[in-house]
Amino acid sequence: MTDRPTLDILQLTVTLRGGRKLLRDVSLKVQPGEVRALVGESGAGKSMIGKAVLGILPPNIKPTEGEILLDTHHLNAMTPVTRRRTVSKIASLIPQDPLTALNPVRKIGPQIVDPLIHIHGWSRDKARERARELLDRVQIRNTDRVLQSYPHELSGGMRQRVLIASAFAPSPRLIVADEPTTALDVTVQKQILRLIRELQQETGTAVLFVTHDMGVVAKISQRVSVLFAGRVMEDAATEDVFRNPQHPYTEALIAATPSYSDLNRSFSPVPPALIADLHAKIAAEEAAS
Amino acid sequence: MADTTLTAPRSRNRGLNLRFWLPLFWVVLLILAAVFAPWVAPRDPLAQDLFLERLPPFFMKGTEPGYWLGTDSLGRDVLSRMIYGARIALIVSFTAATLTCIFGSVLGLVAGYFGGWWDTVISRLVDIWMSFPPVLFAVLLVAVMGTGLWSVIAAIVLIDWTRFARVIRAETLVQARMDYVDSARIGGARRISTLVSEILPNVLPSIIALLTLEMGIAVIVEAILSFVNLSISSDDPTWGSMIAEGRGAIYFAWWVLLFPLIALFLTVLSFSQLGEGMKQRFDPVLQ
Repeated sequence: MTDRPTLDILQLTVTLRGGRKLLRDVSLKVQPGEVRALVGESGAGKSMIGKAVLGILPPNIKPTEGEILLDTHHLNAMTPVTRRRTVSKIASLIPQDPLTALNPVRKIGPQIVDPLIHIHGWSRDKARERARELLDRVQIRNTDRVLQSYPHELSGGMRQRVLIASAFAPSPRLIVADEPTTALDVTVQKQILRLIRELQQETGTAVLFVTHDMGVVAKISQRVSVLFAGRVMEDAATEDVFRNPQHPYTEALIAATPSYSDLNRSFSPVPPALIADLHAKIAAEEAAS
Repeated sequence: MADTTLTAPRSRNRGLNLRFWLPLFWVVLLILAAVFAPWVAPRDPLAQDLFLERLPPFFMKGTEPGYWLGTDSLGRDVLSRMIYGARIALIVSFTAATLTCIFGSVLGLVAGYFGGWWDTVISRLVDIWMSFPPVLFAVLLVAVMGTGLWSVIAAIVLIDWTRFARVIRAETLVQARMDYVDSARIGGARRISTLVSEILPNVLPSIIALLTLEMGIAVIVEAILSFVNLSISSDDPTWGSMIAEGRGAIYFAWWVLLFPLIALFLTVLSFSQLGEGMKQRFDPVLQ
């Protein structure tokens, strides 16, 4: 069946110790070969969704309700050990900050190759070959030299390329990209984004792309979930969202995006009144339920 | 496109680093003296000769040949006693510092990485522990356990593990928040193996620096305990007991006190400098 989603999140609620709900009834699907953007302001819980899927929530935050289906696996019903094994074989992460995402005391080579050997059971030669191939693909010259380098010897953009190569290396079914361009400067951002899109299209990997930038959403995704205060405000095809936003918050987010191609186009921040209004509505709903 | 070149040079050639080599020289000298004490010491460190009491060191008038750094009030050779004293100083500093390091670092790593209940218990314990005056604590401990080499070592471990626990906990907290730890966990690594294989190597330079610092501190604590006569049995020459004995004669036989004091000072300084030097040499990020 081709229409079974790679990732299917059903009414997921994630709770901070003490009872505050950081995500509430979040549902979303990522179909095979599809890029799903998760957009929202900081604190909306967009990274939290990716972390909940990958099982790397901080110890004081737990998924309390709902289900996460990765392929056919019910992740929330699994023991921690089986969950980790399952997730590590199916999904990988492109992290937000390339400067801290590589272990500073280990060389690049082992950091790409070791997971391929230990998790996916490849032979060392096959893993090395694959690492070279992927580094080549993300336009790193001197592949051998880079494999022998420590992370601090590479620039931020280089490190993000390494991480992208590493994420795609095991041919995962799903990649969670957690604001992969946020920590980079604008010129590098564009190249990195293009790389991710190209690799995604070549491999047909499903991607959950977390970002706060509507410009990035437009460039990379087929579908968007707009998040506000841990809730999905709008879930639609990217084109439709830009042409005809259904929710006032989405509209405000689009209006708040600066355009690099048209510097004269005006943009305005999300009006505080709208945010206050939304918070009031949510509080009222919660009081009612 | 533009960022496909390596940004940092591989490592700078710093030339001869005196801050590293001088302390290393002193420590190696000390180790050799301690190991070969029976052969290098010119006299028996315990042999008294009341006819030769308070002989001055070789560069002053009224010395006897063979007593290079003079004798104390019982006519014992100061240099020989210092060489034998180095044995005890080094045994105490290596053993006590290593044990302190292992004990404190393990607790620090656990508190910093597992957090929650572990962190609460360990951190509160450290807080409580640190509010005892350390020297008084050590004196009390030795008084209770009785004097002897192992009592001294135990006292040092028990008063100083908090230093490691604190610093290593803080370092571990910083490392644990890094994305590479998350990546390792997605990669299916168990928490304990993430701690050992990902975080520990990043905290290791700090552990080594603290370890060498602790060696210096152990020498001082041993000297303090000797000074109040609570260290090893008084038959064994230690720098601390020499300083204590020399104190009474400081106006007419200053060498009895001064030479062991210099040895103590150089040793402590060397250990701390060595730690800093090793941190710089072995940390790939600092290079």
